[in-house]
Parts: sequence; structure tokens; C-alpha cells
Amino acid sequence: MKKRSIFGLLLILSMIAAACGGGSLEGEEVFITGALVGNDAAGFQENFDSFTEETGIIVSFQGSDNFEQEVQIQMESGDTPDIALWPQPGAVVDAAQRGYLVSLEDLGVDMDEYRASFSSYIVGLGEVDGAHYGGAHAFNLKSIVWYQPAEFEARGYSIPSTWDEMIALADQIVADGMTPFCFGMYSNGASGWLATDWMEDIMLRTGEGTATYDKWVSHDIPFNDPVVKNAATFLSQIMHTEGYVVGGTDAIVSTYFGNAQDPMFEKDANGNPGCFMHRQASFITSFWPEAAQAGAGSETTVFPFPAMDDGLPKAALGAGDMFGVFNDRDATIEVVNYMLSNDFFEAAAQRPDNSRIYGHVDFDTSLYSKDITRVLADTITGALAENAFRFDASDLMPPEVGAGSFWKEMMNLAVEGPGYIDTALNNIETSWP
Amino acid sequence: MTRNNQKWYDKPFTKLILVAIAITWIFPIFGFLLSSFRPPEAIKRTSWWESLYTGEYWTELTLQNYSEVFFAENLSRSFYNSLAITIPSTIIPITIAAFAAYAFAFMDFRGKNFLFMMVVASMIIPLQMSLIPLVQLFKSGIELGGITIIPALDINGTFVATWFAHTGFGLPLATFLLRDFMMGLPRSVIESAKIDGASNMTTFFKLVVPLSISGIAAFATFQFLWVYNDFLVANVFLGVYKPENLVVTSHMSQIVVGLFGEAWHLRLSGAVISMIVPLIVFFSLQRYFIRGLIGGAVKG
Amino acid sequence: MKKLTQREKLFNFGISLLALGAFPLIWFLSQAILFRELTEIVSRNVLVVIGIIVGSSFVFLLFNGMERLIRLAPRERRDSLEARMFAGPSLFMIGLFLFYPAIRTIYLSFKDRYGKSFNGVENYSWAFSDTEMLVTIRNQIVWLVFVVFFTLLIGLIVGWLSDRLNKGEAFFKSIVFMPMAISAVGATAIFKFIYEYRPPPLTQIGIINGIRVSSGEKCSNNRIIEGVLNDYADPSCNRAIGWLQQRDLSNLQIGETLESGGWLSNLLVNFPLNTVLLLVIMIWAYTGFAAVVFSAGIKAIPADIMEAGQIDGASEIRIFLSIVIPYIKSTIIVVGTYMVVTVLKAFDIIYVSTRGDLETNLLAVKMLDEFSKYRNIGRSSTVAVIIFVCVIPIIVGNALREKESNSL
Repeated sequence: MKKRSIFGLLLILSMIAAACGGGSLEGEEVFITGALVGNDAAGFQENFDSFTEETGIIVSFQGSDNFEQEVQIQMESGDTPDIALWPQPGAVVDAAQRGYLVSLEDLGVDMDEYRASFSSYIVGLGEVDGAHYGGAHAFNLKSIVWYQPAEFEARGYSIPSTWDEMIALADQIVADGMTPFCFGMYSNGASGWLATDWMEDIMLRTGEGTATYDKWVSHDIPFNDPVVKNAATFLSQIMHTEGYVVGGTDAIVSTYFGNAQDPMFEKDANGNPGCFMHRQASFITSFWPEAAQAGAGSETTVFPFPAMDDGLPKAALGAGDMFGVFNDRDATIEVVNYMLSNDFFEAAAQRPDNSRIYGHVDFDTSLYSKDITRVLADTITGALAENAFRFDASDLMPPEVGAGSFWKEMMNLAVEGPGYIDTALNNIETSWP
Repeated sequence: MTRNNQKWYDKPFTKLILVAIAITWIFPIFGFLLSSFRPPEAIKRTSWWESLYTGEYWTELTLQNYSEVFFAENLSRSFYNSLAITIPSTIIPITIAAFAAYAFAFMDFRGKNFLFMMVVASMIIPLQMSLIPLVQLFKSGIELGGITIIPALDINGTFVATWFAHTGFGLPLATFLLRDFMMGLPRSVIESAKIDGASNMTTFFKLVVPLSISGIAAFATFQFLWVYNDFLVANVFLGVYKPENLVVTSHMSQIVVGLFGEAWHLRLSGAVISMIVPLIVFFSLQRYFIRGLIGGAVKG
Repeated sequence: MKKLTQREKLFNFGISLLALGAFPLIWFLSQAILFRELTEIVSRNVLVVIGIIVGSSFVFLLFNGMERLIRLAPRERRDSLEARMFAGPSLFMIGLFLFYPAIRTIYLSFKDRYGKSFNGVENYSWAFSDTEMLVTIRNQIVWLVFVVFFTLLIGLIVGWLSDRLNKGEAFFKSIVFMPMAISAVGATAIFKFIYEYRPPPLTQIGIINGIRVSSGEKCSNNRIIEGVLNDYADPSCNRAIGWLQQRDLSNLQIGETLESGGWLSNLLVNFPLNTVLLLVIMIWAYTGFAAVVFSAGIKAIPADIMEAGQIDGASEIRIFLSIVIPYIKSTIIVVGTYMVVTVLKAFDIIYVSTRGDLETNLLAVKMLDEFSKYRNIGRSSTVAVIIFVCVIPIIVGNALREKESNSL
């Protein structure tokens, strides 16, 4: 024991000496937490391999599906990691408002460059009182519908480019004795988000498009506004038309979003797939059965969410992670600057299992391991350039709505049918804090 | 005491009910365990009872799921961590509770009933209610009107924080149960020891603890299983962002729940692995444990 | 009792303070600081070993030290001081780890979402008007009624009947008891596998849906017979059901037949199916505990009382009702109290299964939701306070029972 403590003391002294000595950050540790798990977490960690080699700063990432609760407790206790990667910008803003985060300005980040490389819209998502707290990271694209070209061709179906065409196709499929849509919105503790995504995509394509959308997010128009009701009616058309969704309306709330697409890959006794179209974000490929994953982008690929109003530009809906920084240690600042640079995502992008899209506009998209990821990445950058990219509204609204009543009432709507639309929207409006 | 002479007890009806209950209880585990040895694709392709029926089950048996889950990085480290948390978190509360139970059962002091009621009352305080104040306490202590009552300790993320937390959360039940158990000991024996002039400490160690050893062991099993199976307290007080701090449950939940899609093969085998230690503890201590609970009765 | 002198009183007070406060505090601090330092100095493996050995035994120093201190006290006061010394650390830890946080939480329950400024009883009026909260409270009541009733009932049956056996008693009890050893995460995984729902035309791997969809002439759970796939797409087949997503019985055949009936069927059709299916997990897990404790109580019934019953020719059920139940009444109350408290705190099952979606939430999960999902410290504290208040009747009941047994 005694020997050990002397040894320990020496170790500490030598570390102090090292720290005071050359100003080198060699051996400094930076902890990052986030909600990424599995392959995504491994990819994120891999991004730092070259960085650690160069600077000597040891970065360790720990992901947890319980992240949001853990980081709340850690903030309350003051026992935080150095950087946290939140799945919603709203949570970063909230943490900043509570005074837990250091702004990017205070960290010495070049804001003009940051804005230029991630677009002002994205940068603005992390803003509190003129200071910016959220560091942009990777995104996914939600305005897409997955389908299997071979199955379409075999039956002479063509890709719908407008909503009406999509409905016509759906009717055709029903008439042919099959089911057009896969639709599952169960998700432990977050059930309903798939329907809110549909709502958002429709909102972006109706009314005045992004302008209405922004007003909706900031509650400048009430939640029971006719525009929103219109969107809900369109959604209800998909959910409640007899024969449109796999397993019938009752199954929408029962089906776990993670295996909602499986019927598409499964043939029934007549050799028909369980469904033909599945509107779901780009990350969903990681949930596919292994055999189907290989065919992502070829056997199973996407068409853009159909347009609803010719007068509006093509909008893209997406979501993604933003990081907040808890301290301004030199090592942390190094890591933050690296995380905002255009080569940050290189390692993760090359992983064969990666489906995440880096938000930096100068990122070399040829690095993505899959063609489909490259196509989706171009869609996102294109939409960003035209200011037609919008972030998932439910992640931007106050949590009582965005993670509460909006989700819940969409579940109720699915169960209760079109007659419930007004009640649902009124309930959400009342719950807005 | 034996009841072998009571031959009318072994009625078929009694057995029938018991067998029915036992089957109901074992059934959920049965299918789960069987399925954990099936290849990932097979689990989703056919149901387990179908594969048993067709005999396909026996041809495709595999340990692949287990090796996939088990050889995930550093599970052994998480296992040692679990032990380093569980053993002290079992012994500390039992020690403290045994002393307190003795005081409540055999000694007289002012406010005894009131204080015991407080112990009972504290059983209801949900541990979730305590988490945040406690993390703050471990970080920066308690100050009351400018006076430091407990200094800043900064022990979040160390084993000792979890020991204390589990001690605090386990004590009410431990004190309550052990006191109940000790109340059941023959009072005359303790009284006579006191009359013989034995000190309370002597009575406690020489008489009450040996007599209550089965009650203590019973609670120890409870507490051990509880702490080992816990993941909330470990996650909060040890933190999960340092991989070297993972315990088996949090590690398993990351491996098992954290994986995408319908990873039933990992969910099944992972859950089975995480059950192994508690089940070994349970079955090896079970006889002792049940005897412990029975031991509250007057010795015949 | 003779009057205490001022000096004695002071001495008494001083030692009580030491026993109840200072000594446990010193132990607490020294163990905390010792291991904090050790964590920094020694390697991981050494820390694990030291942790297990020293961490476990350090607490004996506390009692040893206190014992030495007590010897300084005057002989006639020693007993009551010693009692305080014995009970002190337990009360200290309970106070610091449960009551202090509880009081803080009550204080926070009157504050706003940031825990900064007071907002009166706003959180409480929210708690009893918000629809989601009301559903949560309803669920909590359903859980209390079902879980406590069935664990006690099945526990009594198993405890009583297994005691009647000549052989196999331990076997039956350990089967029922075994789930106690399994973590809530594991138990929930097991039951999710039973309730599992997959969208058609996928094979149903959960046994309930598997049996449902394959019952019927033209229905089969994707069985391949002579190279031909037999599925359950035929309209005559039962649909698979997402069991944990059913808030009522309206999707079941029984629900449809009930729909038109009177108040009773209205009540039945609103039967919260998913909540009940989830609480089954808890019954499964805790019945063994009740059974083992009851069995112990039953064994403690003196043989002559039982024999007297038999000689009188009383039936088994009569013996059970008029001898066994009254004799182990206090055990039933103890187990019942424990179960009520456990159900009020129930957390893990919901947390890892549905996270409270589709009206399955419980108070403890709701509390954490308010904290982490909605980031509202005030409301989260309010929910915690409600859980706390719910048990007051139990405390009072226990107090009365305590009084009764003391007056005997």
C-alpha cells in the first residue's frame, strides 16, 4: 500500500510537471457522450483515431440509449463529460439556457467559417441570445420514400412525383390486391414520431412551404391553424384509407418502427411483397434485415417525398445531432475545432455500415461507402444551399409538445380515425407552454 | 418437525394445482432459453415451437449468439466491477441494519417507536427521488445557511458512491426485515443473557447474530441480487461515459438493447448471460435462504 | 426515575449527538475520502480487490469506535446510549440518503421548470388535471390492485399447498421463486418475447400471436409444407395483435361482442390490456417472494393447533381460512406492505418495455420523464412527492398495528 501511494504521488507529480512543461496536450483526455450506439458509436470513435495520433489527446466516446436522462443528471450534479452529442438541437439550447454550456464564440471558434461550412440555418439552430452553443454534426434525410424498383417494374408501376400520383398508385396497388404502404410508428418512449415526420414533410410542401413551417415551429401560427389541419388531413388519408397500410390501421400503432419495413422484404404465398412504399429516414437501413442491407441503394432505393404544390421549391426534411461543450479546456477546444473541420467524418464515412451524412458542405462525398448515402448527402447539401432544408420540427418545439403531446396525439389520431383531427390539434395547441 | 404421518395431504388435486402453477412460471423462460441457441435468421424465420415440432431445432443448435455477445469487449472488466460494487453494497447495509434492528427489537430508548416509524416511512421514498440531490451531495456537499455540513467530496464516478447509495436505499428494508426477524427470536433467551450480565455488544455478537444468521443471509441474498441486477444506480453514480466503469447490467444493456433492429438473437443470449450469476447465487444460497426465512420461527 | 443533573443531561446529549450524527458522519467522510484517493492512486484490479475487502469491513471500525466511546459513559445511562449507538448509523444513512433528498424534492416541487423561482401550487394543479398524469395515476391504481392481490393470493396458495407435500416442496417453491433472481431487464425481455408482434406477412415469433394466427383451417404461421408457403393472409384468420399497444379490448373479438352492452361491458371494454399484461411481469417476479415468506409463516404454526383442526375433522379449506390465515395475518400484512411499496416504486419494467407509451406509464417513470424528457425539475419533483404521499395511509396503518402489538 505504502509503496503504491508513493508511486502514485510520483505519477501525479510527473503528470503535473508534464502539464506545466511544454503546453503539449499529449495524454489529455476528452470524454464525449451521446445517444449513438452500435455501429454509429464505433464510427464516431474511429473519427478520432488520426486526431489522437497527431495531437496525443485521447478522446473517448461512450454512447447510451439512455443518454438524454443521464446527461440531465450529470448536468445537475456537475459531473459532466467534456462534450455531449444531443440528438435534438432543442436540448442543446435548453442546456445552454440553464447555463451549463460554453458558447462556440467563447471557445474561439471562427464563426464565419463555421457558418459558411454548415449554413446559417443549421448554425442558427444552436443560438441562444446571440451566442451559439450547438456544434453541427451529422444528419439524416427524412423526405424520402423507400421502394423496390424491380417490384415496381414487374407490375408496371411508375414512381409518383406528386401526392396525387402517389395516391393514384396506392389505389392501383389496393385494386391489384396488395398493400401499398409500410407504416409503423411504435417506438419505446417516442411512439408517434413517424407520424410527426409525415406531418412535417407535408407542412413543408403545403401553404407557403418553409415560411409556414418556420412559423409553425416557432408557434407564430397556432397548432390548430387550417394549414396544419390540412396537413393532418393528408396524413389521415394515408393512415385511414382502407387497405393502404400493412396490417390495417390498428397495426400502425402496434408496429415497431424498426421492423415496419420488413414486410417489403418478405413475399407472401403469391410472391407479392408485403408493401411497396415506406416513407422513412435514411438511417433506417441499419434496422433492415442483414440480407436487405446489402441491396440498399440498388434493390431497395428511394424516391423523393412527392411534391404537393408546384409553386414551392423542393424542400428537404432532416434531423441529426448537435454537440454542446461543457468546458473550455485547451484539449476540449482542440477537439471542438477538429469536430467542425471538413475532414472530421472521413473515417466514419468509409465504414461499410455507415448511413449518417456529415453536414459540412466541403466534405468529400466520394468517401461515403455507399452510393445511396452520396445521393442523399447531395440532396441535403443542395437543399441547404437553397435554404430549403428544414430540421425535424418536433425536435425544435418545446419538449412538452415535440416529445409529448405531438407524438401522443398522432398515436391517438391513428387509432381514432379522421374524425379525431380537430381534437388532436386542439389538444396539442393547449399543451403548448 | 416432520409431517410424514399426514398422509391425506398428498392429494392429487394439490399436486395438480402446483404443477399447473409451476408450468406457468417456467414456461416464459423455456421458450426464451431454447430460442437463444438458434441461429439469428432461424429465430425470425420460424417460431421456436414450430422448429421443435418439426425437429429442425436440434439440427441447427448453435452457440454463435453467445459467443457474439460474450466476446464483446472487456465483459470481464464489467464483471469485476459488478462484484466490487455488489459485495460491499451487500455487507455494509446488513451490518448497519443488524445493529439497528437489535436496538429496535431488544433495547429501550426515547423516541424508539417514532424512529422506527421513520424507518418504515423511508421505505416508500422512491430512489429516483433521491438520485439528483444525492449526486449533487456527492459532488459538492451540503451547505445550510453558509455552514458546511458535509464538505464537497467529489466522489461521483467512484465505487464508494455506489456503495453509499445502495446502503442508503437498502437500509430501510434491511432494518425492517431484520427487526421483524429478531422480534421472532425467543425473547427469554435474550432476557436471560442480559440478566447474566452480558453486555449488549456481547449479546449481539454471541447470541443474536448467530441466531439470526439465516435472516441475515436471506437479506444478503436479496440485496446481492438487487444490487447486481440494478443498472440505474450504477449508471447514475458511476457514470457510463468512462468505459472502465461499466457494470455487467449496463454493459449488457448497451450490447443488447443498444443494437439496431430486430436483434433478437443478441437480446436472447445477452439476457441469458446476464441471468447466470444471479441464478447461481440464488440456487447455491437458496436452501440457506429459505431456511433463513423459516428460521424466524421458534426453534423446535 | 431520578432526575438528571444538568451535567448528566449535557453528557447524555453530547453522546447522543456523537452516536447519531458525528460518528456516522466521520465514518462516511473517511470512507468516501479514502476510496476517492485510492481510485486515483492504485490500478483498477487492485482497486477492485481493496474495494471488496476494505470497503466491506470499514464499517466495523465505526461500531468498534462507538463501543469504546460508550464505555466512558456512566453505567446507568449506558443502555439507552448504546441503543442510540446501535440505531444511529442506520438512521443517519436513511436520513442523509432518503429524507434529506425527499425534503429537497418537496421544496423543488413548488418551483418552476428550472428549479429557480417559486410558482406556488401550479405543479400540483397540473398533476391532477393533465390527462397523461391522470392516466398514470389510474395505471398506478390498477397495478396496486392487481399485483398486490395476485402476488398474495398465488403466494398463499403455493406456500400452503407446497407445505402439504411430502416431497418436492423445495422444488415447487424454487421454481416460483426463481424469477426473483432475474433482473427486471431480463424479465421484461422474456415477456416481450412472448407478446412480440410483427407486421404481416412476417412469421409471428411471439407465442401468443403465433397461436392466434395459426388457428383456423386456412391459416398457418408461415409453415412451409412440401415447399409451399402457408401463411395467415386469409380473411378467416385471426389477426396478430400488438399486445403492449392495446389500450382496451376493442381490437379483440371479445371487445366487439361487448361493445353494445351495458355499463359492465363498457367497463370491460376499457380494460387497460397493455397495462395488465405488463403488470403480469411483476406478479411473475414477486409471487415467489410471497410464497417463500408465507411458507415460512405456515411452518411456524404449532403442530398441535393444526392437529386440533384435523381431529375436529375440519376440511382443508376450513383449516386454511380459520387457522392458517389468522395465524399468519401479520406476515400477510408485512408482505402486503412490502408489495404496495414496491409497486408504488415500480420502475424498471415500464422503463425497459414501453417507456410509458400508449397509456402504460407509472408514476416513477413519469417522474423521470418529466426530468429528462421534458426537462422540468418542478413537475418531476411534484410527481415524486405524489408517490410519497400515496404511502401515507400505509405508514399510518403500520403505526396503528405497531401500537396494537405493543399494547398487547
